[in-house]
Amino acid sequence: MPILEARSLTKNFRRPDKASGFKGAVTHLMQRKYKNYTAVNGIDLSIEAGESVAYVGPNGAGKSTTVKLLTGILKPSEGTVRVMGRDPHAERIANAHDIGVLFGQRTQLWWDLPVEESLKLLKHMYGVSDADYRARIARFDALLDLGEFMPALARTLSLGQRMRADLACALIHDPKMVYLDEPTIGLDISVKDRLRAFLREMADDGTTLLLTSHDLADIEEVCERIVVIDKGAIAYDGPIRQLKAHYITTKTVHLFLEGPADVPVLAEKFPDYDWAAGEAPSEVVVTYESNRFTTAEVLGSLTSRLAPRDLSLSEPSIEDVIRRLYAGELTE
Amino acid sequence: MASVDVALATISFKRKIAYKTTWVFSILFGGWSLLAGLAVWNHLIGDGELGGYDWPAMKAYLIIGFLTGTLAWAGSDWEMANRILDGLVAVDLTKPVDFQRARAAEYMGGMTASVPAAVLGTAAAVLIFQPAPPVSPLAGALTAFSLLFIFPLAFGISYLSILTCFVTQRYLGIQWAKDSMVAFFSGMMVPLALMPGWLQVLSWTMPFVHFTTTPASIYLGRVDTAGALGLIAAEAAWAVGLWAAGRLIWGGLVKKVTIHGG
Repeated sequence: MPILEARSLTKNFRRPDKASGFKGAVTHLMQRKYKNYTAVNGIDLSIEAGESVAYVGPNGAGKSTTVKLLTGILKPSEGTVRVMGRDPHAERIANAHDIGVLFGQRTQLWWDLPVEESLKLLKHMYGVSDADYRARIARFDALLDLGEFMPALARTLSLGQRMRADLACALIHDPKMVYLDEPTIGLDISVKDRLRAFLREMADDGTTLLLTSHDLADIEEVCERIVVIDKGAIAYDGPIRQLKAHYITTKTVHLFLEGPADVPVLAEKFPDYDWAAGEAPSEVVVTYESNRFTTAEVLGSLTSRLAPRDLSLSEPSIEDVIRRLYAGELTE
Repeated sequence: MASVDVALATISFKRKIAYKTTWVFSILFGGWSLLAGLAVWNHLIGDGELGGYDWPAMKAYLIIGFLTGTLAWAGSDWEMANRILDGLVAVDLTKPVDFQRARAAEYMGGMTASVPAAVLGTAAAVLIFQPAPPVSPLAGALTAFSLLFIFPLAFGISYLSILTCFVTQRYLGIQWAKDSMVAFFSGMMVPLALMPGWLQVLSWTMPFVHFTTTPASIYLGRVDTAGALGLIAAEAAWAVGLWAAGRLIWGGLVKKVTIHGG
């Protein structure tokens, strides 16, 4: 039985339809008009216990609204959600005991008190025993260096420290299902790496994760499955591996030759590959279909016949694939 | 009271006293209002009386008004309102606590931070200005008991006012309206006895009257013991009624809540 199941999940909102300027403001005051729009449109989503799922999409695609529907914050306009068998909105308090939520753009720390006070309050809220609390704080300290800013006022923390503290707040009760909405937003690379390592460890330990992020490195490092949402509807749902296998069908070799590269001559010599000039005069970019040729074959033929000074190998990133999915260039 | 309520109230208390300068300023400003009130009413009453208050009784009334005002204005309306306006209510709704009960614990914890200032200020004012004593020890005890209801009443009124933010998306005007209603209809600004009869009747139909007029009436013997118990029962009824109204409105709002942005 899935830990989370959403069927035909839909959320409609009403927005003021107001013209700009003074006249628009006065007109709206006298004659209010609203426009309905659909933020989430008939989503079907099923997540098994222990899965780590990335939920991605462009800005305004409906990611955060979906998370709010799944966590019970919002009531769906249509459709159903069940998390561990419960309706998360109707049974909000019971559901909240079993989930952990991190909103990267909204802190759950009490702003004017030390981080430790926020964690202790959450300990009371979730009924965490003293022994479990100590053990979890020790673990967070080991993985997130929490100890260094536990006594600091939340408002004095750097963004990276704040996010680590917020993550500890979201996980202090050892939730079965964790929702992370943009957990690495605005963080520097070293803090991102540390958070990703922590999330990977959580996923390996069997915690069910739903992660939304614009940073696709988060997704590739932490998740096995990806759900791409666009305009409120699911555009792709499947393993990241499969997404890559399905859509990433070419690879690229950058060759650095001893002298200037003559692209037309090379293209004639190796007609099975696509050739293009590189950034440097001696650089040439070779693209081949990875389902026709193995990398070993390609490199073997190129190095034996051209004796390049250096080479590098690359493949389109998942970011490229998702960019093309957003743009509607790819279909499932 | 469950440990989570105590923990929320305690954290709110700590937040209030975290800003020590603001705390001290609020005490000084409260004291200044009392001094100004005493000067004005002394000038108006002189050796006579006004609305049934002679000068010692008016001093007692104003000191009770200082005490109740210090408590009533000590809640964290803006913190509650801002959580709705900024969308932080989303975070609150992911916690395994009843939303209204959690806000009540926080609000009353914040009010408790003003108790030392209210009690010390009142004690100092009593020593310095020598107001009329309570009409009887029982009246004094019933006055103290009636003052306890300021906590749930202040929360109930503030909670209903901040829930309007879901609709208005602004709190400033609502807060002004709420504060002026409390200040006027409680008798904090002018004793109800000095208002036209119809306004007095209107005031007694609202919960605000219990912030100052009720404790002062009990203290000064303007109502007998049965009347005092009746007023306390009315305070309790308002506290329950406001709580129920808050729950009813929240129940409707939470189904329609919209939180834009990530």
